[in-house]
Amino acid sequence: MTQAVSPETQSVDLTPKLDHEDVERVKVDVASQWQLMWWKFKRHKMAMVGGVVVIAYYLVALFANFFAPVHFQTYRAEYVYAPPQRIRLFLDGKFTPYVLGYTFERDPVSFKKTWAIDESVVIPVGFLQHGEAYKLWGIIPGDLHLIGPKNADDPFYLLGSDKSGRDVFSRIIYSSRISLTVGLVGVVISLGLGILIGGLSGLVGGLLDNLIQRLIEILISIPTLPFWLALAAAVPLDWSPLQVYFMITIILSLIGWTGLGRVVRSKFLALREEDFILAATLDGVPRGRMILRHMIPSFLSHIIASVTLAIPGMILGETALSYLGLGLRPPVVSWGVMLQETQKVTVIAIYPWILFPALAVIIVVLALNFLGDGLRDAADPY
Amino acid sequence: MTEQAPVSQNTEQVAAQPAVAQMKDDSYLLEVNNLKMYFSITSGIFARVKGFTKAADDVSFFIRKGETLGLVGESGCGKTTIGRCIARAYEPTAGEILYRLADDSVVDLAQLKGKDVRPYRKDIRMIFQDPYSSLNPRMTVFELVSEVLKVNNLVRPAQMKDRVEYMLERVGLRPEYMQRYPHAFSGGERQRIGIARSLITDPRLVICDEAVSALDVSIRAQILNLLEELQADFDLTYLFISHDLSVIRHICDRIVVMYVGKVVEVANGLELYTHPKHPYTEALMSAVPISNPRVRNRESRIRLHGEVADPSNPPSGCYFHPRCQYAQDICASDEPALRELDGNRFVACHFAEELDLRGAAMED
Amino acid sequence: MSETLIKVTDLKIHFFTDEGVVRAVDGSDLTVERGRTLSLVGESGCGKSVACRSLLQIVHSPGKIVSGEIMYHRSMGNGLDEVIDIAQLDPKGKQIRNIRGKEISMIFQEPMTSLSPMYTVGNQIVENIQLHTDKTKKEAHALAIELLDKVGIPKPGRLVDEYPFRLSGGMRQRAMIAMALSCNPNMLIADEPTTALDVTTQANILDLMLDLQRQYGMALLFITHDLGVVAEIADDVAVMYLGKIVEKSDVDTIFNNPQHPYTQALLRSIPKVATRREELDPIKGMVPNPYRRPEGCPFHPRCAKAFSECRTIVPSVTHLGENHTVQCLLYEDLSDKKSMEQSL
Repeated sequence: MTQAVSPETQSVDLTPKLDHEDVERVKVDVASQWQLMWWKFKRHKMAMVGGVVVIAYYLVALFANFFAPVHFQTYRAEYVYAPPQRIRLFLDGKFTPYVLGYTFERDPVSFKKTWAIDESVVIPVGFLQHGEAYKLWGIIPGDLHLIGPKNADDPFYLLGSDKSGRDVFSRIIYSSRISLTVGLVGVVISLGLGILIGGLSGLVGGLLDNLIQRLIEILISIPTLPFWLALAAAVPLDWSPLQVYFMITIILSLIGWTGLGRVVRSKFLALREEDFILAATLDGVPRGRMILRHMIPSFLSHIIASVTLAIPGMILGETALSYLGLGLRPPVVSWGVMLQETQKVTVIAIYPWILFPALAVIIVVLALNFLGDGLRDAADPY
Repeated sequence: MTEQAPVSQNTEQVAAQPAVAQMKDDSYLLEVNNLKMYFSITSGIFARVKGFTKAADDVSFFIRKGETLGLVGESGCGKTTIGRCIARAYEPTAGEILYRLADDSVVDLAQLKGKDVRPYRKDIRMIFQDPYSSLNPRMTVFELVSEVLKVNNLVRPAQMKDRVEYMLERVGLRPEYMQRYPHAFSGGERQRIGIARSLITDPRLVICDEAVSALDVSIRAQILNLLEELQADFDLTYLFISHDLSVIRHICDRIVVMYVGKVVEVANGLELYTHPKHPYTEALMSAVPISNPRVRNRESRIRLHGEVADPSNPPSGCYFHPRCQYAQDICASDEPALRELDGNRFVACHFAEELDLRGAAMED
Repeated sequence: MSETLIKVTDLKIHFFTDEGVVRAVDGSDLTVERGRTLSLVGESGCGKSVACRSLLQIVHSPGKIVSGEIMYHRSMGNGLDEVIDIAQLDPKGKQIRNIRGKEISMIFQEPMTSLSPMYTVGNQIVENIQLHTDKTKKEAHALAIELLDKVGIPKPGRLVDEYPFRLSGGMRQRAMIAMALSCNPNMLIADEPTTALDVTTQANILDLMLDLQRQYGMALLFITHDLGVVAEIADDVAVMYLGKIVEKSDVDTIFNNPQHPYTQALLRSIPKVATRREELDPIKGMVPNPYRRPEGCPFHPRCAKAFSECRTIVPSVTHLGENHTVQCLLYEDLSDKKSMEQSL
């Protein structure tokens, strides 16, 4: 049964191509953690969608003047509480975007004007339309808008108008600037505090760690809304909107940092026990380099995920405060400020379109959550 | 082993250093005397100290230049702790760790504080057990291996790449793989990277902490051969820590046996296996499975009763006495000192001379 | 009642992952005889754990038994056997649950994680007893204490009410064994039960398992990578590599007359306590990436005796004797295969 061929006569080199030479393999081998993260993230479809939506929101906020048909303070007293005009695209078979105009009725008893859509009035609408002049970011003059009425005098309220005759759609767009950046600024402050205090806690340990942890526990056990209200109420009424803005972000970060602080602390604690950190210690790596070069890259991706998940909290916080009248105030506009008008049920019942800012908030918060979820799942690609 | 002509003892004191000690013999590279490493046990909100875990308790042994000393024992015996004390990952609670420098002067590593340890880090290096957790997954092979050179300014930046390439080749890896990340490599290859990292500083003492325990059986042999080859090429001294008696037997010249933080026996390789002098060593040898089905020694195996003693609450007298079949009254009251029997043999047992103990079953 | 307890034929278990299909077990045959110890040896990734898990239908997803038979011969008491194909049973079904813990038990490597920390040791043993027998809680509790005593746990009456975290590694493993034996199984599958234990504890546990095996008359399927342990306890040995059983025989033959190059190389590469210190003879290369298996014989890239046909032809099982099989082209008559290839 044994084979007649003697193995010694082999002259064939049977060593296969080394695994490491495999081209596909090489791509993975030299992939940094960010590459690996990206590949893993791509597979999470909802997270990708969330990411696209979030990017879209920030782009719109950046170029608000272009995307909004009019400025957020522009008002027309004659079009108070006008209902939304739907865009239609085809008129008599031809592609002509248009909206329908308004008629109004005056209630004989209260003399209140009520608007209704008039099918007979056709207002042509154009894309990349010249309209109201503006200064992009306060420096670049322009008057191009994404969408607007061909005739500048025609009323154009895609999402209706509010109690002063201001365009809800434009105000939502301009609001995004405030609402979305409050989130960012607040989170950056939280991040800084979180890393600093959480890092101290995790690295130094001992009594300091104990004290900081108890402080965090006290802070997070304070009911947030009453706390915010108290602090917001303490803001002097005569401060400018900008000062109020910054005060709000600081208030929001004062509690917001605790979540990140705990995450950072636990990461440092876990890392301290890792063999590769011990190896670096035995290499003689000094403390600063150890933290920056060896430890932080290990949990940076987790931090990014945590930060992304912290932003919605900030947005909702500002919206809530402003809704209650204790955050930002007119003339500054944010989604919360816009929602102040929705406090009366009767108003919502008759003019439901003033609730649209809420929809804007919901969509971006959901998108950020999906994005953060995907980032968190991809955070440890190993 | 190198023969050394007697050198006059260096008794000069270097100004800012602690008092320079002397070693008992010129051939020693490292001498550990009465080393203690206690970890405090705390409880309560205010972390009050309740007691101590005596991970290493009054440990003494020496390592000769060029030899491979094995440190063997079961879990909780303190062997890893000793290795880390010598590498100064911990600051020892008490005792001396005398280290002989290249110029023959002797320094006590245990006395050094903080930054003073730095200059010695390049001389004493460590290879870790787990090839997966001992390499930072977010650094390339080049960064990992060269880090120690960088932070200690051991090599000029221009020569760094060459040095790393050379080392990778010596451990059997292709230098082109320098830019790859650890996830590209298998366990055995990662361990080679770890070896390259530890040898890149041209050290004199290398502590192998269970360096092959986490590897597959067929890879183990490769790595052991590599370690032996490198020892000859680079003139290294090894402290080889392991729980695997067959690996220890293969690679070590002399062996230190530990039990619950104490040294119980020190002997030359073969001697320890054929003629153990401590009852615990005898039990260990008896327990090792032999790779020969014809030599099954089930009936004659010494079965140790009870559990390994708790290092935070050890028994009185000799720590091993509750499980020892030869124990007498004195064993419960008096802790036996580590005594020298002859030449290279040390035992911590009251009855070392009287007992006639059985060695490991031989395979053929 | 036949001698054979379990007969596995051409078992294939594949893992369907995002990166591809891993053939964890690739056509393996195994036979476990009543009352005897079969040791399954191999290195990490060879498929031994997966193969044993399939005997109880607990292969974790994304693994699936793709083909093959696992014939379990259940004695019906009147000298006859009922033969059940475990591979066909529903992993969540009643039939396999009746077998698990009662007729075939399993113990695992990490006693830390295989005992639930939420329940006392006694509770866990009693649960198993009550699942498969109709003993009352009191009877089951008494039986649990008896079992703990049998496995060498001191003060069993007290320890039965302790939680697992109070026990050491060796004690936990004994408790696991007690639980596994509580219903007098026909076979005990032990997946590296002593790998995580100290050598003295390991010796005690091995002795215990052999004592109990003799007392209960059960078969023992012991997975390990430690050849010393194999030599100590096995009657028969099956050597696995990359999902295939490359050699199978009684323990004496495997150690003293191995025929497969992998077995030979493995035995040559391990350090032994008694031998002179000479250079070890390692197996060159590494275990290949499971997503990129070599063509032909899975071992050929590392084989000292490989020749050109090994690269393309997959060896089939060759019988070298009554109780000795090997999968290697060195022992096969290739003339049929060659002519088959030429005619294609």
